Amino acid sequence: MDVVHDVLDKHITDRNGREMGRVDGILLDVRPNEAPRLAAVVIGASALGFRVNPIVGRWVHGVEYGVGIGEERPIRIDFSHVAEVGEKVKVDVTVAESGAETLERRLREWILKIPGSR
Amino acid sequence: MTNTVRLDRLIGRKILTGNNRSLGRLEECRAERRGDSWIVTEWVIGSAGLLERLGFGVRMILGMRTGRSFVARWDQLDLSNPDVPRLNCSLEDLKRA
Amino acid sequence: MKKIFNLLLGVVTSIGGFVEAGSISTAAQGGTEFGFALLWAIAVATIILAMLAEMAGRIATVGKRSMAAAVRERFGFHYQMIPLGAELMIDLLLLAAEIGGVAVAVKLLTGVGFQWWILPVGLVVWLVIWLGNFSVIEDGVGLLGMVTVAFVVAAWRLHPGPKAVAAGFVPSVPGHDLTRYAFLTVSIVGATVSPYLLNFYSSGAIEEKWTEPDLWINRTTSYLGMGFGSIVSMGVLVTAAVVLGPLQLRVDSYEQAALMFVPVFGRWAVTLFACSLGVGCFGAAVEITLNAGYVLAQSFGWTWGVDKPRRDAARFCAAFTTVLLVSVVIALLGFDPLQMTLISVALTVVVMPLIVLPFLVLMNDEQFVKQHKSGSIGNGLLAALTILGALMALVVIPLEIFGG
Repeated sequence: MDVVHDVLDKHITDRNGREMGRVDGILLDVRPNEAPRLAAVVIGASALGFRVNPIVGRWVHGVEYGVGIGEERPIRIDFSHVAEVGEKVKVDVTVAESGAETLERRLREWILKIPGSR
Repeated sequence: MTNTVRLDRLIGRKILTGNNRSLGRLEECRAERRGDSWIVTEWVIGSAGLLERLGFGVRMILGMRTGRSFVARWDQLDLSNPDVPRLNCSLEDLKRA
Repeated sequence: MKKIFNLLLGVVTSIGGFVEAGSISTAAQGGTEFGFALLWAIAVATIILAMLAEMAGRIATVGKRSMAAAVRERFGFHYQMIPLGAELMIDLLLLAAEIGGVAVAVKLLTGVGFQWWILPVGLVVWLVIWLGNFSVIEDGVGLLGMVTVAFVVAAWRLHPGPKAVAAGFVPSVPGHDLTRYAFLTVSIVGATVSPYLLNFYSSGAIEEKWTEPDLWINRTTSYLGMGFGSIVSMGVLVTAAVVLGPLQLRVDSYEQAALMFVPVFGRWAVTLFACSLGVGCFGAAVEITLNAGYVLAQSFGWTWGVDKPRRDAARFCAAFTTVLLVSVVIALLGFDPLQMTLISVALTVVVMPLIVLPFLVLMNDEQFVKQHKSGSIGNGLLAALTILGALMALVVIPLEIFGG
């Protein structure tokens, strides 16, 4: 598997096919005298921010704290949960378990208050 | 001691040879599933830079020669300092991509 | 039969949806100042747009990804950040200009200052997206937009000499004001080949669930729809050339541009112009707002789609609502909508090479187009376009300063 080509920046879906976002980062475990291991995929705005620059990442993380989701961000999903890598990356956890839908859920509560939201 | 490193920040970094010359940039990481884990087997280092990353179409149209690319085994790259990844072998030991 | 009907509808709505603030203002200025001499620029810009739209549609139909998604996946976030950021900034400005255009149109109809209409127009744009679905929005906007055919009718009724019009399709060097001519040429390209249109078109292909057997619909809609749509733009230019050209003025406001309808439509001139401007800009405002939601959601992997229940795409809804709000605030600052249009059009040209370059790679990558790759002609055209785009990007700011 070519990790950058096949995994990074791809859509990631949960065990039920629900959208979780995109693979915004990938963590490697590096040990002396051992082959590095793919540790986790990382999802979230701060993960993307960190990719641009660590200072930007910390700033975005601050914004996430401000919005009330900072504690669970960035979302880490252990690589052992990656079930399938194809057009999308499928993991065998649910979006609710991962915490990837917190912001979506909170915004949904606001949207349901607006008339005409179906 | 395990060091957790961001692969996405490693990619694009210059790879230095033993005598501090730049070989190219880290382009790709190849991994294989072994049991429950995905283990890195190889690294692809490209020396054509930006055009390399843009891909085949541009090179073909602009008529440029394919940039040199190397493939290093996992143990041929020293990631003890992830900000400055280094080759810990000689150039001749690398495979051509 | 249903497919033929949908195709015809697609072509008709493309005509109705073609002109907006950018194309009206650049064509009006071009016609007033240089007669028919810039018709070739509209034609060339339309061919470029149709070609890129067809390719974007192909990537969406075969690769099932919009342009924003394809660029993120193929080039990574580091590359995408720059065109994404630039496109969002341009869209904010252009959306403010379109909302301003609608507001000026309502002012022309009611006599009440355009600033009063900005908030209501913004609200109506939002309501149309909030309550509508993709077909209703696209088809409704496109069908209403058929009022812009008034420009073609006006041009026809003014009996411009056919030889003179035909000569306008051959690029020529003007006898005066070369800098201004070059600026308007580049602006016409920027007004026609808007980045938002390409992502919107590809997102639309996904909303309409096109599959590989529909590729002929994609080709026909792109080339025929935009081809016929450009005739409306040309109608604006020809009408402005015949009516406003002899007056030797520079069209600096939509109120001035409205005069072009007087000889043909008499006391209906202002009403028809206002309706054409208003509907054209309104349609564009809806598309740009929706596209801002698309681009952000697709780049970051959120659920998106105007056909989905709003509660299932909360971040997408928040995104387009926020962009619309910011644009309304910009519009409320009171800048002249026509001037804002011209600035955003110039900025579009600066970003154009970054928008075109990805096509060169994506159209040759099986991951995105499978066996429907670009042939050597397509690749050659794309390469030429990238270089042309880079050249235009270099000259547009100096031209804006000296010729704008």
